[in-house]
Amino acid sequence: MPVAAPPRPRTAGRNWIIAFIFVAGATWSIAGLDVTLARLLGAPADAWNILHRMFPPAFNEVYQRGVVGKVFESVYIAWIGTIIGAVVSLPFAFLAATNVSPRWIRTPIRQIFNAVRAVPELILAVILIPITGLGPWAGALAIGIHSVGTLGKWACEAIENSDHGPVEAVEACGGVWVSGMRWGVLPQVMPVITSYWLFRFEINVRASAVLGMIGAGGVGAELVSQLVFRNFPAVGAVLAITVAVVLSIDALSAFVRRRIITGGGPTKNRNQEATADLTGLKH
Amino acid sequence: MNRVTTPEDGRPTRPRLKLRTFLTAGLVLLFTIYSGRQVGFTISTFWEVWSNPLWEKFWPVPWEWVFDRSNVIDPLIETFQIAIISTLIGCGLALPLSFIISPLTTPNKPTYLVAKGIMNVVRAVPDLFWAKLLVTAVGIGAFAGSWALSIFSLAVMVKLFSETVDSADPRPLEAARAAGGRHTPAVRTGVLPTVFPSYVAYSLYVFELNIRASIVLGLVGAGGIGRVVEAQRQYFRFDRVLGILLIIFVIVIVIEQISVALRKRLV
Repeated sequence: MPVAAPPRPRTAGRNWIIAFIFVAGATWSIAGLDVTLARLLGAPADAWNILHRMFPPAFNEVYQRGVVGKVFESVYIAWIGTIIGAVVSLPFAFLAATNVSPRWIRTPIRQIFNAVRAVPELILAVILIPITGLGPWAGALAIGIHSVGTLGKWACEAIENSDHGPVEAVEACGGVWVSGMRWGVLPQVMPVITSYWLFRFEINVRASAVLGMIGAGGVGAELVSQLVFRNFPAVGAVLAITVAVVLSIDALSAFVRRRIITGGGPTKNRNQEATADLTGLKH
Repeated sequence: MNRVTTPEDGRPTRPRLKLRTFLTAGLVLLFTIYSGRQVGFTISTFWEVWSNPLWEKFWPVPWEWVFDRSNVIDPLIETFQIAIISTLIGCGLALPLSFIISPLTTPNKPTYLVAKGIMNVVRAVPDLFWAKLLVTAVGIGAFAGSWALSIFSLAVMVKLFSETVDSADPRPLEAARAAGGRHTPAVRTGVLPTVFPSYVAYSLYVFELNIRASIVLGLVGAGGIGRVVEAQRQYFRFDRVLGILLIIFVIVIVIEQISVALRKRLV
């Protein structure tokens, strides 16, 4: 016996309003960006032209200029930045967590985390470069300061999700607050927090490559100078080396994170947990 | 079985640290020291940064200059325009591409592998590298910036959203296929409705990322408020730079709060 299909939900009015907002937003943006049809149609050809001239990449020339060392300098900057972020953020994360810290301490510390997170690394570097001088140290410090904000927030959330039982056990044995944190909370949250540190390191490698573009050390400066001289085969080689290093570090870090969280067992969607925390969306 | 208690006092023994743990810790420490040397890190540099007399050049902030329309407000509007158009383009293109890149909904294996490989490489190039490349290709200004951010938000969005599609419930899709649906309609009716709220939520997140990214695009000549920061930095007008930074700071925080509130309602 045929059954009538259920009626479609009526959302037409709302959809029109949303569509109107989108079209209006797009029109307003395009109007402000001084786009002409000629430019729009010419752009793909221009981009393709540059991409085309990068082949074959001049690996030999770039290698002799010491670009591989510059890429690794970016990695060192990212590592030192991550270490600064991790070391500074960990104690403050305990003071910022709802379940283990009183309100009058945690509220200001949370606000500091939020404030630090809101300033992009590059902007921090712009402030720091006149103070520290051009060089990798400015980049490492900028990345470190920014990482304190994000790592602090993530670690704080990990602590808030921890089981309170062990802390109560420590308190029942007469342990003070610090003992409760050290023996009750830290062993629970350390694997997750370590994997956040590694995840942040992956992000920081990209950030430190970019920081070089404004003179804070690393591979970015090399890319800019090759582009200024329009030496496209060298640009291609710099890009290829950077991408190779970034992808290797991502793969290595993902492997280590998987080992830390699951002990090497199989996991589905291993990045999803980190992604969910990053975006504040849990599935 | 391991003996967990000692006979004398009944307390559990402390677990012994493994050799491997020491080795790992040692390697990490060595790498840190080596990196620190390469970067030029010493503890005293912290003090040198704090005690630098140049800090005084950041103060006082010339507010009348900062609030002048043509100095800061117009470039700031340009920043928003770049972020809006790149979010629309990037997230719009990401919708079909994410379905291609998820094993659940991909039309065929070769397309999946090629698309996934390309997107991985695209994502490995940092956002400002794209900006600088496109500035060289299509000229200085917001046009290049919009292109760069569109590419970058496409890459980020595909990564985030295709993982959601991966973990979508496969049963409606199987039902649609069992009923004889072709590939595209089956995916549209079987998977899209269940993942669409996440799509909108991720788009908002990508918009937030794009606002942050478009602020700094100008540092490499790709338009927006960053070009004012870059210009004033070269004139050593750090007081003006600080004024702009404070405005940026307020805007980023406000946008983040709105975006978080909207996303909480969606998911």
